[in-house]
Amino acid sequence: MSIIKKLALVIVSLSLVAVSSVSSAKPFSPKKPIELIIPAGQGGGADEIARLVQGVIEKNDYASKPVIPINKKGGSGGEAMTYVKKKAGDEHTLIITLNNVLTTPVNQPELGIDFFNDFTPLARLITDTFLVWIATEGKNTQGVETFDDFIALARGNGLVMGGTGSMSEDELLLGMMRGQFGFDAKYVPYDGGGAVAKGLVGGESDFTLNNPSEQMGFYQSGDSKALVMMTPERNPAFPEVPSSYELGYPDLEYYMMRAFMAPAGVDAEVEKYYTGLLHTVYHDNEFQTFNIDDGKLMSWLEGYGLKDFLAIEYAKHGEIIKNFD
Amino acid sequence: MDVFILLLEGIFVSFEPLNLGLLVFGCLIGLFVGAMPGLGSVNGVAILIPITFIIPPTAAIIFLAAVYYGAMYGGAISSVMLGIPGASTAVATVFDGRPLAVKGEAMTALTAAAVGSFVGGTVSVILFTLFAPPLAEVALRFNAPETFALMVMAFATFVGLGGDDVPKTIFSILIGLALSTIGLDLITGKPRLIFFNIPGFLHGINFLVLAIGIYGIGEMLWTLEETKGKVQMSKLSVNMKEVGRAFGALKKTIMAMNIGSFLGFFVGILPAAGATPASLMSYGITKQLSKNSKEFGSGVPAGVVAPECANNSASTGSMLPMLTLGIPGSPTTAILLGGMILWGLTPGPLLFTQEPEFVWGLIGSLYIANFFTLVLNIALIPAFLMVLRIPFAILAPVIFVLCVTGGYAPTQSLHDVWLMLLFGFAGYILRKLDYPVAPAVLSIVLGPLAEKALRQSLILSDGSMGIFFDMAEKPIAAIIMYIAIVLLIMPAFGPLYRKFFKKAQTT
Repeated sequence: MSIIKKLALVIVSLSLVAVSSVSSAKPFSPKKPIELIIPAGQGGGADEIARLVQGVIEKNDYASKPVIPINKKGGSGGEAMTYVKKKAGDEHTLIITLNNVLTTPVNQPELGIDFFNDFTPLARLITDTFLVWIATEGKNTQGVETFDDFIALARGNGLVMGGTGSMSEDELLLGMMRGQFGFDAKYVPYDGGGAVAKGLVGGESDFTLNNPSEQMGFYQSGDSKALVMMTPERNPAFPEVPSSYELGYPDLEYYMMRAFMAPAGVDAEVEKYYTGLLHTVYHDNEFQTFNIDDGKLMSWLEGYGLKDFLAIEYAKHGEIIKNFD
Repeated sequence: MDVFILLLEGIFVSFEPLNLGLLVFGCLIGLFVGAMPGLGSVNGVAILIPITFIIPPTAAIIFLAAVYYGAMYGGAISSVMLGIPGASTAVATVFDGRPLAVKGEAMTALTAAAVGSFVGGTVSVILFTLFAPPLAEVALRFNAPETFALMVMAFATFVGLGGDDVPKTIFSILIGLALSTIGLDLITGKPRLIFFNIPGFLHGINFLVLAIGIYGIGEMLWTLEETKGKVQMSKLSVNMKEVGRAFGALKKTIMAMNIGSFLGFFVGILPAAGATPASLMSYGITKQLSKNSKEFGSGVPAGVVAPECANNSASTGSMLPMLTLGIPGSPTTAILLGGMILWGLTPGPLLFTQEPEFVWGLIGSLYIANFFTLVLNIALIPAFLMVLRIPFAILAPVIFVLCVTGGYAPTQSLHDVWLMLLFGFAGYILRKLDYPVAPAVLSIVLGPLAEKALRQSLILSDGSMGIFFDMAEKPIAAIIMYIAIVLLIMPAFGPLYRKFFKKAQTT
């Protein structure tokens, strides 16, 4: 065993102690590669975090077995959640969340997913923010400089919005905005946030509600610009973009949680192991720097706090869906 | 010219000892990964990503690109020698590569594959070097209606693929399309055609399951019936005369090389298409434009060159949207993209100016990797040919095992292995009844891409098909659509035209 591996083990076990109460049972360690299920396409926000987590774990040897990210993008997370549900008790499967884990069980009752009983929530690492994006040279959004300009334009015209799939976060957000600002838009679904960003710059859609990282390349090159960030405060990664609170729209606040869950029915030891592993990743320097530069909010949450948070979010999303049609 | 100075620097970068060593190593791994059914460039690159965290980003991308590249060459080996597509990108290589091997011309098939790959790879890396920024603009303008038009064109070329029996070909295409709709609806996310509520159908029918079933199992059954187990391969000697003959056969494949290189590159740079559709389309178009299109499928070198040329060309092309737009042009580049982000690079329009050493090191390495894989491949042909000396009684079980692992690997579910066996029998029966099976394989690959693009387009146009024929608003889509229609009716009018033309001559 290499020195790095030993060190990593020490860190993992230390954080295990820090995170959880001391336990007498035999500690768990993975016996085969860990599947990390991504309920979205490649190149989107969830995909990026999943691969970052994989990279940080591999690079520092935080886990004794490799992490293998697998994209199951079908049906707004339906495919991924069905897969993880079937894996009940499996000790080598994790799923990274988008908010679609909160909406898909409600929207697709035929899948028979019970959010509160089919998964074991481990930890929330990050909350991702949403912005309203337009292309700098968008043909239908010429002259739009502020969010208010945008609302005025959107009210009169049926703009096209690119999004990540039926009933995904951005379509829910569109639903929220429809109620708040009285405009509607034509929603076109794409494969993942990367394709959405490209559709905007390529002129197929007029605006998107991408996460920061999905538009970062185009934002830096000046091909797209953000009008508002749906948070109380400005974000250091986008200093010139006003927050929705500043603009006087405190109701326009929405986040994406990047949490990890295991299937239902895993032992407490397994739960502890993965929570500890994620905690180690969370405090990794590279992980912190990368996410902060990318405009994300570091927001560790575990245990009962996480369960309460999920219950509240689940209810909130149920409300949004109910008001959707 | 600035470009040439940058390129030269890039080539120097790839000649640094670490980079060069990784490049050769990567090519070899790629060859192996590509040749193993079930393991393709996607798995290969994904498995190797962690290794790259301990080396500098430039060395890492050179290594992974070499694996990607090598896999494109390697896929052809098992397609030709065993009749099982080694990777999804090499399915079309089976169409003519396998018959060539059965005829005793495996040498010609392998040479055609290696040289075709080299030409395709080289042409596309030159195009990449010269036109990357403007081509990124094309990729950006290529949206849903354009993608759908391109898919229609691909289907149109395949109507001619099954020979003269157009109804049987259309039947085969429709079977493939029907199979491709199984799973979750692409737009609404609702489950569709989940037979008997078997959960295995939720992830749809993986295209490799169909391809390995039809070509691996189906072919084996066919061979058993034809030969009653007494398979004898002839002409196995490797001498200069054979080598000369193999290279001589390439003269007739110039058109295939042109089509494969340019079409492959173009399809490659389009987001979300990649090398598999590129190779299938290249085969279809080459066949349709060829003078002796009737011989395709019975073992012509051009039928090997067309897909092999295109898959290498497309794999280079698909790096273009990855680098310039930050979106993957193929499943493998999606994984490379993840790697780039982790190495601390921001893919996007600024990458070329911010990280010139990385970008040009990669481009430079592609030239070198191309050359090395060609040399490796030609040198290893005698070793590959040894496979044919193995008695069929030993080879058949090996093929069977490879088919089962190949069917199991992509989704890791036994459900898919049973399906593969089922498709094997179905393919065998269809073949006995003289139905072409290649169009079904094409449809299951292109079906989901076409469906998604069609539905996105129709949402944009409020349900009007006019969006595909609007010369003013969407000229690219409209032009491709009209070409597709011409291609579609050409085989129908061809015989009529010839008939009338001949009559006119005789009278």
